[in-house]
Amino acid sequence: MLTTKHPSPSNSHSPVSALWPAMLLFVLATSPAVVLAQWLNYPTPGIPRLANGAPDLKAPAPRTPDGKPDFSGMWFANVPSRDYCREKDCIQEERMAREQINLGIKLKDGLPYTEWSREQMKARRANGGREDPHTYCMPPNFPRAWTLPQHIRIVQTPGMMVALHEFNGAYREVYLDGRPLPVNPNPTWNGYSTGHWEGDTLVIETNGIRDDMWLDIQGSPVTESARVTERLTRLNFGLMEIEIAVNDPKAYTKPWSVTIEMAAIVDTQMLEEICMDNEKDTRLYKK
Amino acid sequence: MTNRLSCLSACIGLCLVLVPAVRAHHSQSEYDLRAKVEVEGTVTKVEWRSPHAWIYVDVTNDKGEKVNWSFELPSPTTLMRRGWTRDSLKPGDRVKVAGAPARNFPAIAIANSIRDSNGKPLFTGTTPIYEPEAESKGAR
Repeated sequence: MLTTKHPSPSNSHSPVSALWPAMLLFVLATSPAVVLAQWLNYPTPGIPRLANGAPDLKAPAPRTPDGKPDFSGMWFANVPSRDYCREKDCIQEERMAREQINLGIKLKDGLPYTEWSREQMKARRANGGREDPHTYCMPPNFPRAWTLPQHIRIVQTPGMMVALHEFNGAYREVYLDGRPLPVNPNPTWNGYSTGHWEGDTLVIETNGIRDDMWLDIQGSPVTESARVTERLTRLNFGLMEIEIAVNDPKAYTKPWSVTIEMAAIVDTQMLEEICMDNEKDTRLYKK
Repeated sequence: MTNRLSCLSACIGLCLVLVPAVRAHHSQSEYDLRAKVEVEGTVTKVEWRSPHAWIYVDVTNDKGEKVNWSFELPSPTTLMRRGWTRDSLKPGDRVKVAGAPARNFPAIAIANSIRDSNGKPLFTGTTPIYEPEAESKGAR
């Protein structure tokens, strides 16, 4: 990532040293693309920091004025950076959640697909996964959206949590005002979500999901019959744990749950990624 | 131009060559990820737009004909977080590009390495070999 370089402090008292502020201002004003690429490295105000100025990721989870854990901020799947080497060149591997490919990857026996699901997946994977709605720039649907390789910003208020997603500038609402889930709602990409607190855990219940949704790249289904429960726990400032529980008798033989981790992302900004802007890959599928 | 490319590399500390492309919004089945194409030529256009940046490179083939290659890059958001800007490559820059070719179309590829004319790495690309079957437990 681009880093801003500051001039070294001078020990001399030459006239030049007095010009440093003006010189710095000149550099900042004339080289915005190099020195300040938007706010990609702009310090996030109001977050816990160590003595050296680095974010204190192990600080206690922040709380709202009413004492609830505050999930507000940017998040990305918590996955380690690894070196990726090929032909003598090594680089830091792109960070991605393995659950992006298979949400049940950590389950010993995988997800408990019904026969209907297996047939669905066979069709979905028949063409190398090119039927994936994500390929066609469709919205990032939760809970899959947690694992996609774009950033999420949570905005939390007493009555509502909003999750903003970089992909297509999408949003998701979670009502925290005590309303019940809708009955027989019109199915949508994200369904309808309400949340309540169980101690320091926010429990989000969702219904009304469309019948043809994907949970991962390999095409694990989630359908209109699903009730999805996400349990969000902010373990500390830098880490959030999400248990995703799916009860979907059409797609799975029994309820199941997986747990993923999200890392707080600070000192940067959300970046717009409108997929339909210049989508040129699907043309390549045509023979 | 060479100076600009060298400066770019030095300024943003890019010693990167390859980056797995799981960030890609698509399956990548349109590319033959086990095949490799390498060309050297002149950048004619840069498309700095989502979901993927594209660069176009004029290449002279063995017959002396000029062919304009299209190379897919990661998203501009990914590139920006790796230190690129929309001006990192410009028309007129000489580059060496390696990548995986499209299965069904000529002169289209997904880039996994871009170097300046001296062979200095600039980027950073994509192109892991993605095999969902290897990841799928429980599915048949």
